[in-house]
Amino acid sequence: MIISRAPLRISFMGGGSDLSAFYEKEVGRVISTAIDKYIYLVFNHTPMVNRVTARYFHSESVNHPLELKHDRIREALLDLGIKSNIEIGAFAHLPSRTGLGSSSSFSVALMKGLHAYLGKKIGARESAEAAARLETDLLKEPIGKQDHYAAAAGGFNVLEFHPDRVEVQPVLLDFERRALLEESIILFYTNITRDASTVLTEQSVRTKDDSAHREIVRRMVDMVLPFKDALMKGNLEDLGALLSRGWQLKRQLASNISNPVIDALYNAALEHGAWGGKLLGAGAGGCLLFLAPPERHAAIKAALFACAREHSLEETSDIPVRFVQSGAEIVFNTHHPQMVRTLEPVWKST
Amino acid sequence: MEEYITQRAKIAGEALAQLPTGEIAKAINILQAAYERDGRVYIFGNGGSLALATHWVSDFNKTVFSHNLDKHERRFQAVRLPSTEEELTAWANDVGYDMVFAGPLQNYLQDSDVVIAVSSSGNSLNVIKAVELTKQRRVPVIGISGMDGGRLRELADAKIHVQSAPGEYELVEGVHAVVLHIMVKYFKDYFNHRLMQTA
Repeated sequence: MIISRAPLRISFMGGGSDLSAFYEKEVGRVISTAIDKYIYLVFNHTPMVNRVTARYFHSESVNHPLELKHDRIREALLDLGIKSNIEIGAFAHLPSRTGLGSSSSFSVALMKGLHAYLGKKIGARESAEAAARLETDLLKEPIGKQDHYAAAAGGFNVLEFHPDRVEVQPVLLDFERRALLEESIILFYTNITRDASTVLTEQSVRTKDDSAHREIVRRMVDMVLPFKDALMKGNLEDLGALLSRGWQLKRQLASNISNPVIDALYNAALEHGAWGGKLLGAGAGGCLLFLAPPERHAAIKAALFACAREHSLEETSDIPVRFVQSGAEIVFNTHHPQMVRTLEPVWKST
Repeated sequence: MEEYITQRAKIAGEALAQLPTGEIAKAINILQAAYERDGRVYIFGNGGSLALATHWVSDFNKTVFSHNLDKHERRFQAVRLPSTEEELTAWANDVGYDMVFAGPLQNYLQDSDVVIAVSSSGNSLNVIKAVELTKQRRVPVIGISGMDGGRLRELADAKIHVQSAPGEYELVEGVHAVVLHIMVKYFKDYFNHRLMQTA
């Protein structure tokens, strides 16, 4: 058996510039950190059972990977030529569609684990590339690359997107500054779920065709390094202001990124003393992130919960987070790849 | 004689002023990641470097947590290789001196681990063999080297290279001791800070 895992991430600034529509023409840049909430995947070889089993929110057991409904597992198995005799289970600290990059973390843990299953060890860059290829090339999802690299590398990074490569530049924060930021963060889960693809499809088309739209993304990219500088100086108030400016820009990127409920929650937090904030992820739901003086946290959270109730949102929560250095990894491995001999050497989908 | 001593102290001071701080920070992050996934840290080197490795293992496993030994649910798991003289002599005598680190490392190394290789020249064959094994397994390597850095500087993920003239072993080993102690002090302060946060 193999257990792999990959962390979720908080993306602070520059989202949208990791879409190829943007970085094919100019450098994209994002600043993000991995957090202590993970996706875990379990891979089990079943030599006596000639089936493929996937256990996640649903449970599927099929004769051939082509029959799987879970698109990421299906395409990954087909691409790697794993036809049968495998069981894959998924476990996560948080639900999906939180805006914390969970679907890409899933893909990174999946590719890291499946390669180990075949006896091949892959590093952070290879895991990120394999997962990005799975989602954008094989599944044709209109998503960017930032989450694959954030999950694979772990830690606090500035990610730079070039047409031919992604550069991961670690932000070398000492523990005091890291703790200062951790203590200022409020992560509020709205329990409004959305599919990133619908938001990002509109965004991609507009980045390609619309120069005003591209200019907005460019302005967000230009704020990434100032954000990093303020972070290195431990200047939290500036960080909050930058977050809010970024969010005001991001709202203009697609018609459905925000909505009146999200706006009401955002305003409630700022009225109760938050330095700044933004909606995480592609938009339209998921988690709101705020930076606020720790002594204001109780009042802000109370205001957020009250506002959520007013708008009939159920099961909202605040999620405590710490940043982590660890990225995609194999945390347990008692598997013997040489046992996987029932497979044909290479099997490709047509 | 005092002039000689002052001159040596000056050279050491210059080397310290040029410490590769970014690479040391990277190394600290690599160790932090290993701690988060409960991985082990293997460290080795020849002669004086082996002594540095052993000293660091003691500091890292115990001194880092010494203010509140019982308050930490999890502590570092650093191991000097080879961990017994018997393994050292058995590998050297039966297989060859170039396998004294790679041989024992192969028994232990897991995906979640980290390796610290210490070599002043950066070219000790037995150190490089163990680093190559580690790289093959995609396990991160912190390389602590001197002189021109040699092969170790090329291979390591965190390249802690103390630049010096050829043959300056005393200088290089002294600065290596400082670097290793910086890592110990960093984590000692970090864990104390975390305890204060949660108190």
